[in-house]
Amino acid sequence: MIFHKLWVMVVKELRVILRDKEALLILFALPVMFVTIMSLAQQDAFKEKGGVTLPVTVINKDAGKIGQGIIDALSGRKGFKVDVAAPGADEAAIKKDVAAGRLKFAIIIPADAAEKVDAGVKAQLGLSPSAAAVRVEFISDPSMQGTIRKIAISSINRILQGIETTALLEGVTRMNERMRRYPAGPKPADTPKQARLFAEIDDDHSAGNAPFPTSVQQNMPAWTLFAMFFLVIPLSATFVREAQQGSLVRLKSMPVPTWIFVAGKMVPYFIINQIQFVLMMLTGMYLLPLFGSEVLEIGHSWGGIALLAASASIAAIGYGLLIATFCKTGEQATTFGGTSVIILAAVGGIMVPKFVMPSYLQKMTAVSPMSWGLEGFLDIFVRNGTVAEAFPHSLRLLAFASICIGLAIFRLYQILSR
Amino acid sequence: MPAKLMIEVVKTRKTYAGAKQPAVDDVDLTIPQGTFFGLLGPNGAGKTTLLSIMSGLLKPDAGTLTVAGVNVSRNFDGVKRLIGVVPQELAVYPILTVRENLSFFGGMFGLRGKKLKARIAECVAIAALESFVDTRAEFLSGGLKRRLSLAAGLVHEPEILFLDEPTVGIDPQTRNFIYDSLNRLNSAGMTIIYTTHYMEEVEKMCNDIAIIDHGKIIARGTAAGLLAQYGANVVTIKAREAIPPATWRQLTADHAADLSVDGNIITLKSDGHQDALAEIMAKLRQHGVTIRSIHMGAENLEEMFLLLTGTSLRDGEAP
Repeated sequence: MIFHKLWVMVVKELRVILRDKEALLILFALPVMFVTIMSLAQQDAFKEKGGVTLPVTVINKDAGKIGQGIIDALSGRKGFKVDVAAPGADEAAIKKDVAAGRLKFAIIIPADAAEKVDAGVKAQLGLSPSAAAVRVEFISDPSMQGTIRKIAISSINRILQGIETTALLEGVTRMNERMRRYPAGPKPADTPKQARLFAEIDDDHSAGNAPFPTSVQQNMPAWTLFAMFFLVIPLSATFVREAQQGSLVRLKSMPVPTWIFVAGKMVPYFIINQIQFVLMMLTGMYLLPLFGSEVLEIGHSWGGIALLAASASIAAIGYGLLIATFCKTGEQATTFGGTSVIILAAVGGIMVPKFVMPSYLQKMTAVSPMSWGLEGFLDIFVRNGTVAEAFPHSLRLLAFASICIGLAIFRLYQILSR
Repeated sequence: MPAKLMIEVVKTRKTYAGAKQPAVDDVDLTIPQGTFFGLLGPNGAGKTTLLSIMSGLLKPDAGTLTVAGVNVSRNFDGVKRLIGVVPQELAVYPILTVRENLSFFGGMFGLRGKKLKARIAECVAIAALESFVDTRAEFLSGGLKRRLSLAAGLVHEPEILFLDEPTVGIDPQTRNFIYDSLNRLNSAGMTIIYTTHYMEEVEKMCNDIAIIDHGKIIARGTAAGLLAQYGANVVTIKAREAIPPATWRQLTADHAADLSVDGNIITLKSDGHQDALAEIMAKLRQHGVTIRSIHMGAENLEEMFLLLTGTSLRDGEAP
């Protein structure tokens, strides 16, 4: 009997939503248009991020002057903020922090860098057999936007080229000096060898060997979460309308528990959220590439994706119910609901990616449930995360949902028993 | 055998947050089964509040409510099936069709399958909405919406039907239709509790009338009984123009207990009104007030209501 009432409530709510053209526009058409436009627009904008300061952690294992030379060159370069790890720092822990997105970039200078550079210079001058190039390791947060990572790699490669040139010039100077003093000594080869002292850093060394994040991977989950939370407008508008048109009074006179009323609202919006999610992901995978965008890669954890999509939806519905039950007029609900979702999106790294924010704002993203959802999706899409990685984010979203739904039920109970 | 009591309200009081006066003030009321009960009062008298308390939708600050022998504060869910509510607002979903609205409200009472279909058909027939079953409520006229609201209150076959001003703002044809429908339902045994500020409605339909003012029941009975009880000893004097303040002050000083003045109307309520009337006439002549008419007794509930409350029932339309 009780589930029959829930079914009747859900069917009614679905009919009300599906016949409301404005609500459908807000729930489906606008988010798809929005995400398409924003992803394409931001894809170009991200390529021009010149003024960003990139935090780089340096693990210097080289006791010679090469390691220090790289650090000095990086520090002197505009756009880098260098943090040198203490001698003996836990390299694995730093790599893990980068993989998890807690650190953005790290470079690891090998212990034998100075010796290898010396050997390389001699080899270049034909004074010794060929020597192996120094391999400076570069790792980056997998969620870091691709073009920014490319700028960082290019800058570091230029620094290494500078150090290489200096080392070669010093080698040539030393050789000339020696030839002047010992004319009978070994002679350099006629043509310097083409081998490099430093191996070129390739753009495939992000932590965890995950696929590189694209603007689509940042934007699709971000704007999907935004669209999910935007249900606050139709949800609160229909609720306030029910109160104003007197249907709530009639429902009060009926043997319907408060939880059925709440669940009757939640189930249809949950279904709608899941359809929204799939639609948005399909847009990223199939529609956006038609406009020249990258294809959306969604990782391999279907379970993690489902868990996050469900948790984010319940959090969004909970927030919608909270707004709906505490607002007295439709205008109040749509204005406050809509504005607060935009603020949560702005703070949560949806509108402006977290990594380009100043550090104090990056910390503030933690207050937005949209940020929790986004980090969860980035863990899966970009960092090859699984259900285990999605779980903590999901738990926070569900805790937020529980508080909102609890308050909404309390408020609804107050309204119905007034 | 006395009729079963369907509603029993004892010492009920309700004061809204921020209000200085209670909306319902220590009201005692019993309504037997099969009664067509009219709750009559001016705007703001407490009609809707008392109706909401009687239907269990509003918790009183004090007092008890018993519906069909069940104490509502202990077991409201137990009596919900007995109660049908037709609120002042339309209280239907505009975006749903007539059938979908009735199906939803029936479903909330646990009706389903053939039983639900049969009840929808019956309610559609009661409200004469056969031609509109698949029309969305938003496309119905104001009168048809009212009829749908009535049908929604009946879908679960309640024993008591509460209606809060169901005829406000509708055309005379729909109003008459609703009167006829409610009379038929009452004849079939349904207890009907009805608030209105339309006097002719209660005179026409109700066999039990209570007049409420400032949250208190000030009179109770049938229309004829009320007129006999409160209307016989009344004299109404209408002047050509408004009574001047000096005249008004002198008249009320001499007959404070029995006399009220409202614009150009002087109402005198007194058993020995012949002497008082002579005195008043002399004073009016002395102050140069021209009399247009003198009327003895209250002819209808409207006049009686004016006598009892000192105010017209239709001072403004909003309740």
